[in-house]
Amino acid sequence: MTTGAHLTGELRKLPAFVRRDFIVAWSYRLPFVGDWVGLALQAFMFYFVGLMVDPAKLPSFGGTPTTYMEFVAVGIAISAFLTLALGRVAIGMQQEQFAGTLESLLMTPTSPATIQLGSVVYDLIYIPIRTAVFLVVIALAFGLDFHASGLVPALVVLLVFIPFVWGLGVASAGATLTFRRGSGLVGLGSTVLVLFSGAFYPLDVLPGWVASIAELNPITIAVDGMREPLLAGTGWEGVGRAVAILVPLSAISLTLGVYAFRAALRRERRQGTLGLY
Amino acid sequence: MHVRRFRRTSASRPATLTRTSRATGASASSTSSASTPARPRTGLDQLTQAAPVVEAHDLARRFGERVALDGVSLTVDSGEIAALLGPNGAGKTTLVRVLTGLVKPDAGSARLLGVDTWECPRELRARMGLVPSGDRSLYLRISGVENLVFFGRLHGMSRREATARAWELLELVGLEDAGRLRSAFYSHGMQKRLSIARALLTEPSVLLIDEATHDLDPEGAALMRELVRGLADEGAAVVWATQRIEEIRGFADEVTLLREGKAAFQGTVSQLVALSVPRRYVLRLRNGRMSGRELEPVLREAVASRATIAAADGGDADDFLLHLEADAVLGDVLSSLTAGGVDVLGCREERSEIENAYLNLAGSGE
Repeated sequence: MTTGAHLTGELRKLPAFVRRDFIVAWSYRLPFVGDWVGLALQAFMFYFVGLMVDPAKLPSFGGTPTTYMEFVAVGIAISAFLTLALGRVAIGMQQEQFAGTLESLLMTPTSPATIQLGSVVYDLIYIPIRTAVFLVVIALAFGLDFHASGLVPALVVLLVFIPFVWGLGVASAGATLTFRRGSGLVGLGSTVLVLFSGAFYPLDVLPGWVASIAELNPITIAVDGMREPLLAGTGWEGVGRAVAILVPLSAISLTLGVYAFRAALRRERRQGTLGLY
Repeated sequence: MHVRRFRRTSASRPATLTRTSRATGASASSTSSASTPARPRTGLDQLTQAAPVVEAHDLARRFGERVALDGVSLTVDSGEIAALLGPNGAGKTTLVRVLTGLVKPDAGSARLLGVDTWECPRELRARMGLVPSGDRSLYLRISGVENLVFFGRLHGMSRREATARAWELLELVGLEDAGRLRSAFYSHGMQKRLSIARALLTEPSVLLIDEATHDLDPEGAALMRELVRGLADEGAAVVWATQRIEEIRGFADEVTLLREGKAAFQGTVSQLVALSVPRRYVLRLRNGRMSGRELEPVLREAVASRATIAAADGGDADDFLLHLEADAVLGDVLSSLTAGGVDVLGCREERSEIENAYLNLAGSGE
C-alpha cells in the first residue's frame, strides 16, 4: 500500500471517531447545555467587570479605543479554547484507558497517530466552532464593535494556533499515559499560559520584565493576532506576524508532542501496563 | 426486554460467515450472503501463510518480582483450538497479551502468521480477533450496533459495509433485538457476546479469546463454543484461555496447562485425562436401618487400613466419601464393604478425571 493510499485510508477512519464522540456528547445533554450556559455567565461577569474599567487604561487597536468587553471577548474565547482543547487532548487517550477501550483500539489496523487524533478530532472541530459562535453571539448581545472584515483573518489565526495546542495536548497525553495523573499539571500549565497572555488585562500592567517574557507567549501572539483584525480592522495585514510565528511554533509543538506520545505508548506496551490506570 | 439467545443452527456455524482461503485468497465458502462485506484486503494476503499459525517459543515475562511467563512455548495450526488452562495468575492472560503484541516478552519470540507479534503490523492486526477478559472494552454510552460499526470502520470498512456486517454479527450472537440499545444496559453476558461479535468483524485467521464464557450461562457458553468450533473448522486458529476445565473436553484440540507461568502440561485432552489418578470417590451406601454417622464405624471396620471413609458433608445421609490409600484398589474395598453387609448403591469419582488431572498439575490437588 502506498503512503498516499495509507494516509487516505487512515483519514477515512476519522469520521467514525467524530460520530462516536458526537453520540457520546449528545448522551450527556446536561453537561452539553451547561457548557454553553457557563460560557454565557462568564461573558456576563466580564461585562459587569468591564463597567468598572476605565477604557482609557486599555490599549487602542489601530487608533480605535476599545471597551473592556471588546478587549476581553477575544481573551475569553482563546482561553476557553486553550483550556478546553488542551484538557481534552491531554485526557483523550486517558479516557480510552479508563474505559478499557484503548487496547481494543490498538488491536485494529489503525495507526496510534490516527487513534490519538481520532480521540480528539470531535473536540478539535467542536471547540473552534464553539469559539467562533461565542464571539459572534457576544458581539451581537453586547453590541461589540468587531470588524466583519476581520472575522476570516482571525479565524485563520485560530486555525494555525490549533496545532500548537494540539501538540501540547499530545505531549501531555503521553505524560498522562506514563504517569497516570497528569491532568492537574495540564490545568496548571494552561492557567499560567493564559495568566501571562494579556487575555484578560493588558500586559502593560505587569512588571516590565514579566511583560517582556509574556510578549513571547504563543497565547499572547494568538490573542493579539485575533484582536488586530477584529478590533482594528487591519484585515490580513494584522495577522501576518502572528501567522509567521505561530506556524513554525505549531509545527515544532506538534512534532515534539507526537514523538513524546509515541515514545510513551511504546514504553507502556513494552511494560505491559497499557491497560492499567 | 426479551433478548433471544444465540441462534442454533444445524450446521453449527453462521450462514453468513465467509472465509477466505489462506493459500489462494479465494472464497472457500459457498454460504456467503450477498450483503456480507468483503474482508478488507491487506498486505498479508500476499504473504505465504506460515504453518503453524501461532508459534511461540520460550516466552518469558516478569512484572516486577512476579513471574508471569517462564519458558512457555505454544504452537497452533490452522483449524485448531488450543486451550490455555490454569488458575488465576497462572499466566494465561499475559500469554494472550503477548500473542496480541500488547505486551513485549522479556525473552523468547511470538509469531502469528509468520510475523513477530511485537512488531504487529496493521496487516496482522487486520487478521486477528481478540476477545479480552473483562467487560471494559466497549463504549458503554453508544449502542451495540454503533460499537460494531465503529470498530468495523477502523478495520477499513465503509459505513454501509460496517453496518451490514454489524447486524449480521448481532444476529449471530443473538443480540439483534438489543442492537440499538446502549451497551451500558447490556448484562455482562450480553457485553461478552458483543465483544465476541467485534472479534469476528473481519473473519479473523487467528482468534485469541480470554475467558469468553466467564459471564455466560451454560447454554450461552455451549453455543459460544459451538460458534468458535465452527470458525476453527473453517480454518481459524483459536487460542482459548479459560479456567473452566469442564469446557475443554470435546472442544479443544490441544491443551496447555499453565502453573505459575510455566507450562505444566501440553498435549491433547485425552493425554491430560490419562494423567488423572482418582483416589477419592463418593459412595452411596446403606446397611439396614443405619445411615450417616451411625454407619461410619461399620464402614471403617470393613475398609480397614486400605482407605478412610466418612459421611459426606452436605450430601445425602447415604453418601460417604471414600479416600483410597496409595496401594489400595477400589474393587477390593467395595468387595469388603459388600462382605461386611453393606449395600453399595452407587459409586462415582468425587471429581471428574479431567478435574483431577487439572488439580494435580495445577498443584492444588490432594
